Amino acid sequence: MRTFLYFLLFMFLAGVITILAAILGDEGAWYFAWLIGTAMLVLVSAAGGALLDAQEASAAAAGREQS
Amino acid sequence: MINGTVVDLSRVQFAATALYHFLFVPLTLGLSFLLAAMETVYVTTGKPIYKQMAQFWGKLFMINFALGVATGLTMEFQFGTNWSFYSSFVGDIFGAPLAIEGLMAFFMESTFVGLMVFGWERLSKGQHLAATWLVAFGSNLSALWILVANGFMQDPVGATFDPFTMRMQLTSFQKLIFSPDVQSKFVHTSIAGYVTAAVFVTGVSAFYLLRKRHVPLAKRSLRMAALFGVLATIGVITLGDALGFVAARVQPTKLAAMEGLWKAQAAPMPFNLIAFPSQTEQKNDGVVQVPDLLSLLVTHSLDRTVLGVDALERQARRRIEQGIPAVQALRVLARDPTNAAALAKFTAHRRDLGYGFLLQRYAPDLSQATPAQVRAAARDTIPPVAAVFWSFRVMVGLGLLMLAFFVLAALYSLHNTVQNKRWFLKVAVWMIPVPFLANECGWLVAELGRQPWTVFDVLPTWMSASTHSVAYMVFSLIGFLGLYSIFIVIELYLLVRAIRLGPAEPGGAGEGRTVPAAAHGGKAEG
Ligand code: HEM
Repeated sequence: MRTFLYFLLFMFLAGVITILAAILGDEGAWYFAWLIGTAMLVLVSAAGGALLDAQEASAAAAGREQS
Repeated sequence: MINGTVVDLSRVQFAATALYHFLFVPLTLGLSFLLAAMETVYVTTGKPIYKQMAQFWGKLFMINFALGVATGLTMEFQFGTNWSFYSSFVGDIFGAPLAIEGLMAFFMESTFVGLMVFGWERLSKGQHLAATWLVAFGSNLSALWILVANGFMQDPVGATFDPFTMRMQLTSFQKLIFSPDVQSKFVHTSIAGYVTAAVFVTGVSAFYLLRKRHVPLAKRSLRMAALFGVLATIGVITLGDALGFVAARVQPTKLAAMEGLWKAQAAPMPFNLIAFPSQTEQKNDGVVQVPDLLSLLVTHSLDRTVLGVDALERQARRRIEQGIPAVQALRVLARDPTNAAALAKFTAHRRDLGYGFLLQRYAPDLSQATPAQVRAAARDTIPPVAAVFWSFRVMVGLGLLMLAFFVLAALYSLHNTVQNKRWFLKVAVWMIPVPFLANECGWLVAELGRQPWTVFDVLPTWMSASTHSVAYMVFSLIGFLGLYSIFIVIELYLLVRAIRLGPAEPGGAGEGRTVPAAAHGGKAEG
């Protein structure tokens, strides 16, 4: 049930974004670029953090193997 | 007529309060999204270090947010107190965005800020994350509306002057919010905030790395801020280019000032890298040029040109002459709104009404205006070139510097060696003031470059102010400067104290030593 509710929420968001893109695409291309760009910035930076965790974990594992 | 000193003092007061206010705003705009990024990692990976990061940077965000709101509120009251003619002239258009901005700031942003700060123990992880994202969107969307209002002052589309109500009236809300100037201004300003926050987080993290304190938090914060910063700086430069391109079309006098372009040049025009413009002699000294670059930058081609100050002044003289009958007809309509001849005359010259107003400063009785007075008014249409020229170059120069800085920060961080580059960490701490300076220069370009107008081509600044006494303005200026300086001191004191104190360490872990990431990779909490 919980997953279904999340599914509905995300479908709703996807719908809103599609409609927004259609409206903004014509007249508000920079606004649209801002929305997409901001999401991308946040995700790239979040991925960077997670990547550092992975780098440090593998460095720690390599250190354990050597010792 | 309003005393010129009162107008100047009103300008100084508004400029000072706006510049103070904009020391707080960009950090709020950008840090909110960095917080969203940190908390997103926390919610998706469950690693407590990201919660600690979100809470620590969230505390700095709150200090900045509270003082930003305080400085913003008092600033906006000036529209009514010191710029009453302006407010009544464009209130129909200006009022709506300003009200929406207030509503967004107080209802959306502040409500969710409350949830974000006090909700850690009360909301589920998902709900808290949603609150943080809504704070980020709320603060940027509230900025959108004040920038819609400012964009209208730069390029007044979607409105028309009504000679019967004697004020501007909105004709198209859609045109207002989708104007190219408003759009590129919003995105440029919002992303300038991202850049500011990224430099701030990188600098503070570098400070911790230099002192070997809170190392896991600092390394992760620096990594996230560096990647955020690289992309944001690319964005701010792209949008800066878009703004210049828009200015070339809608505010040619601002563009000429930004580029120190006194006379038209053949295409492809060279770019004045360095120059010392003289407003009185209308020429540049000590010029260093880059061939062809100006045409490329402002027309995105090699075979087009833009007008120089000389041609723009000639244009202004013609428009002032056309504006005289518009103002005269308006005066008749003010006495007798049914006068059809006056209405016809006004309609024929309405496009140049603002230019007629400009001349009134020199010739209160327009029928007696002399060619010398017309020339003086036409000269006024050129903004203070040296100030705009140099503010623009400082902003762009600092933008390029920050791009180089972030590329290096990202490289070192991706190699996971940034903690060993002490010289770079020291530079990173010293970089903290740089984006703040770039932001202030940006506003100087935008607002000084718009002079002599409050609403470009429509309403001159000299007419827009309230009729106060000089003594009143001096008193209020000193009061504002004193109050805002206290705000800055409080902000700096609280921020420095919170940074020195550092993040709350659960059980003191991580303080003064490097804790491997794996140590934080425990089970999901929250
Ligand atoms: C590097 C290339 C850049 C270019 C070409 C550029 C261009 C411009 C232009 C043309 C304006 C005037 C807009 C107007 O007249 O309304 C402006 C304003 C502004 N700029 Fe920049 N800019 C650049 C970088 C930056 C950076 C790095 C920052 C701050 C981090 C910044 C912050 C601002 C701000 C706050 C404003 C005033 C608000 C606005 O009008 O958008 N700019 N910029």
